[in-house]
Amino acid sequence: MTLEEFKTECRSELQAIRDGDGIYKQVNNERLPISDDDFEQMIIDCANSKFDQQENGYKTARQEAYGSIQDQLDMQYWDSVNGTTNWADHIAQVKADNPKPE
Amino acid sequence: MAGSLIKIDEEIVTSAVASVSLLGIDSTYDVYMVSYVGLRASTGADVNIRVTKSGTAQSDSEYDRAYKQLRSDTTFGNSSATNQTSIQIGYSGGNNETYENNNTLYLFNFPTAEYSFMTIESVRSDPSAPTIVGDTGGGVHTVGSASDGVSILLSSGNITAGQFVLYGLKKA
Repeated sequence: MTLEEFKTECRSELQAIRDGDGIYKQVNNERLPISDDDFEQMIIDCANSKFDQQENGYKTARQEAYGSIQDQLDMQYWDSVNGTTNWADHIAQVKADNPKPE
Repeated sequence: MAGSLIKIDEEIVTSAVASVSLLGIDSTYDVYMVSYVGLRASTGADVNIRVTKSGTAQSDSEYDRAYKQLRSDTTFGNSSATNQTSIQIGYSGGNNETYENNNTLYLFNFPTAEYSFMTIESVRSDPSAPTIVGDTGGGVHTVGSASDGVSILLSSGNITAGQFVLYGLKKA
């Protein structure tokens, strides 16, 4: 999806919330309804967040899925001793599970 | 040294809000500190912060951040970005106590015409892993004018609970 498409999606989602339970901000110990300017900014923030997740989310997902450096070095050592491919298989699996967007 | 932290503003969230503002920074103190505990999110979301000027949160693309993510389950990560519309300072995994995010931020230069800097010292647990995650680093708003507070918000959804406090650090 494009950033503009995410904005349209976010506007629809947030408008439904605003029309339903309402959207509030807390300032000076008061819970106040957000302004129209706040609402427009929320749409931009929402769209930017979704777009960033679409474009870059795989990086974080891969980072969390990779084994520790110590574990990877241990895999490489035993692969060299045993002629196995556990380390390469692990890396390939993480990449396959968390593909880079087209 | 008793009485060194002077409470400026405190916000206790018990009903869902999209943002929480902590206001009242002026030249009385050189350094301010924000502490929040028990921040819960309606859904898993990044916790972000913006500076305020004349009480209005600044959403310009002038925020930079860099921090190290220390975690017990896998390799430590680095998080950095420039020209963002806010500073990412943590993550809350959801709306219960096991997903709470806690943070201490020291604010520098806010009352001056210099860039507004802050440190980040965040900790959370993730019971699904399970793991403990700490973020430590800093952020800056690269606009040279005085800031009078901060606004804390999420990348999506509402803040459903938390205690947010702004302190001034008393001058020696």
